[in-house]
Amino acid sequence: MKLRLFAAALPTALACAIIGLSSPTPAEARIKLATLPDREAVAVRFDHPNQVLVEEERTIALQAGVNNIDFSWAGTNIDKGSIVFRPAAADSKVEILSTSYPPGENALTWAVSSPDARSEKFRISYLMGNIQRETSYQAMVSKDETTCSFKHYFKIRNWSGESFAEADFITRDGKKFEKALSQGEAKRVLVNKWDNVKIKKEYVYDLTRQYEGKVLTDYVLVNSKDIGLGQIPLEFGKVRIYQDDGKGTAAFTGEDWGRFTPIGDEMRLNIGTAQDIKVEFKKMVNDVTNRRGNVYDTDELDQYEIKNFKDSEVILTLVLRVDGEWEMMKDASGFESFERMDNETVKFRVKCPPKGAPVLLKFHYQRKDVW
Amino acid sequence: MRPVAFICLTLLACAPLCAKEELVTLPKRDGVQLTIYNSEDLTLVRETRTLSFKAGENRLQFSWANTLIDPTSVEFQALADKEGNLEVSDTSYPAESHEMLIWTITAKKAASHQVQITYFTSGISWSAEYTGLVAADESAMDLTAYVTVHNRSGEDYEDAEVRLVVGVIHLVEKVINLAQPATSRAMDRKEMEDWARDAPNKSPSGPGRGGGGGMSKPKQIDKAGLSEYYIYSVEGTETILTNWSKRLRSFSVAGVPLKTVYHLNPAKFGPEFTKVLEFKNNEECKLGKEPLPDGLIRLFRQSASGMGYMGALASKYIAKNDEVKISVGPDAEVTLKEKRMSFQKKDLTFNQRWLEGWTGVETFELEVRNFRSKAIEVEIHRSFGGDFDFNSEDKAEVENFNTRKFILSLAPNTSRTLVFSVTTRYGSNVKPK
Repeated sequence: MKLRLFAAALPTALACAIIGLSSPTPAEARIKLATLPDREAVAVRFDHPNQVLVEEERTIALQAGVNNIDFSWAGTNIDKGSIVFRPAAADSKVEILSTSYPPGENALTWAVSSPDARSEKFRISYLMGNIQRETSYQAMVSKDETTCSFKHYFKIRNWSGESFAEADFITRDGKKFEKALSQGEAKRVLVNKWDNVKIKKEYVYDLTRQYEGKVLTDYVLVNSKDIGLGQIPLEFGKVRIYQDDGKGTAAFTGEDWGRFTPIGDEMRLNIGTAQDIKVEFKKMVNDVTNRRGNVYDTDELDQYEIKNFKDSEVILTLVLRVDGEWEMMKDASGFESFERMDNETVKFRVKCPPKGAPVLLKFHYQRKDVW
Repeated sequence: MRPVAFICLTLLACAPLCAKEELVTLPKRDGVQLTIYNSEDLTLVRETRTLSFKAGENRLQFSWANTLIDPTSVEFQALADKEGNLEVSDTSYPAESHEMLIWTITAKKAASHQVQITYFTSGISWSAEYTGLVAADESAMDLTAYVTVHNRSGEDYEDAEVRLVVGVIHLVEKVINLAQPATSRAMDRKEMEDWARDAPNKSPSGPGRGGGGGMSKPKQIDKAGLSEYYIYSVEGTETILTNWSKRLRSFSVAGVPLKTVYHLNPAKFGPEFTKVLEFKNNEECKLGKEPLPDGLIRLFRQSASGMGYMGALASKYIAKNDEVKISVGPDAEVTLKEKRMSFQKKDLTFNQRWLEGWTGVETFELEVRNFRSKAIEVEIHRSFGGDFDFNSEDKAEVENFNTRKFILSLAPNTSRTLVFSVTTRYGSNVKPK
């Protein structure tokens, strides 16, 4: 590995939205004053899951009577119809009379009536495209896999054409951070961190998630205060999971997409395959019964031989599917609990002794009226 | 000529953020650790450096031109910072480069800190291989396991701690895809090959030497379980140059007891009657200390005249206490012949003079002959289709609803004939139950 030294230049901010104050002359003259009131505050809001709302404040010097205020934007992706212009003060005497859209321009003109000459603070809001957001998480799981520290990151990539010299970025859950963000630049910030979050580890053989007969290892965390979360809904995002190896370092143990998880709901994360638990399927009985013309029933016994090669006992959840009309027979055996999740899907919980001692789940059922 | 592939770490001072930046320090790397996964094209690189921070905001630039690093994985962490002196305010990915990021790090007070930078890279992998030297009488073998690390990442890793992860990890995106903007340049094969050819002359420590150069005995590989994984930690450090591979011995065990079983099991070993050598990954077999990662097992027979190749198995992961069955192919000295001795159609049924059902009765003989001067075990799986009844005076087990299994032993130079009959109903004769 080689090292090289060099210095990087700071990105230069680009200003693309322009405000000009026009004198109340006929609109076609459109004489723009050179005074460009600075933005005093900019907020970029990510409340909506798909849209980004930019809100800015500017103080504009008004003359008594009707003033035309030009607002134009070049090279930025502003939704023209979404622009809202209003005085910041609720009891303002200033009134917005009309909005005019000149042809073929990314611009508009507000006619603003003022009772006297004054400086008035205005708020301009608009939806801006091409600002991408990404939520991601990092879980650092304890050696005993019962708790984790859970970090929540928010990343913004700015392709809008606009540079933000200084802006408040506000996430969907109301977290605010002040940053500069140039055109083309991306920034990632840590917005939340929760320690000692309780997690549950589960082994799952689930034929609705995979067909290769693998046993999946899942971590389950409930977005609730009981386990150390439950403050905000967790946005959809990638969760990267590391585990403390007990030697002062950590190992990466897997990643999964965390679905949007409202408060009170659970997030299930698959970290990989549990290779020390093997499941071997055999169909032991597959008989036709109760034949009537070309209609018949079937008597079927599906056997799952489970071997847990770990040094300690585990509980394995098996999620299986049977299509059509069917019912489980009373002599089905080898499980701790059984739940029919829906017509086609059943869930068994099987206690698996350690060191490879086999356990047999015998799922005996009859299909009805097959043709 | 070697492509430009480097990782650069630069600490920048910036009193006000927009002021001209100033290079403060050349951070020296204290150590690097590679955690290499075998189930995915993924390596976690962890490097430590000692940096000096001034009070207030510090900007730290990290760039990785022409490597296969996943930019989304790069993380900064201060080590032994119990007081929380350092805090990452943000991570910025400048528009002008896909291969650079800048951390803004706020320090409460000026201090020197050891920091850790971690990231994922593609292009480094490892594999396991096994060599078994089987005794002439096939009663035991000497088993040696190797691990081989391959580096095609475009980056040299010198004096690195190497950890190998056994296990199947779940990734939702491939690291190579996340590293893609850099890939096309990093994988300029001709340049890589040219460089690899020249590398031995350029490397100060020689390829593949590093911390292990000049070692007088094989390195120990420590194995420890973590969650669903096993981590193999190679003793000391290794230098792994790009486009080079390095093989190390994982363990060696003499006298692993073997069992020879002849199988007819088309589902597992193909249609031929096959010799299979079996052992278990347990203490009885002098193994069982850790699972055996998936890899190629090659068996050689030792004899007075030299060594002969027996066969190989691309083995899947073998858990502790699980069994291993290696097919070494047919053996001319142990044969199986199946003959149909009779065939009879009966119970023909008609519907308006058209045949609509019948029953077939067949008898078979399975003759197993052992020409060897050694007792053997035999396992025969025989499958049938449709609505059938199976009958045999010889003991057969139900393997599944359409397969029966015979297990038998044969003394040296003996033979045995198994007899069974199968009654199969067709058409309207299919048995209503």
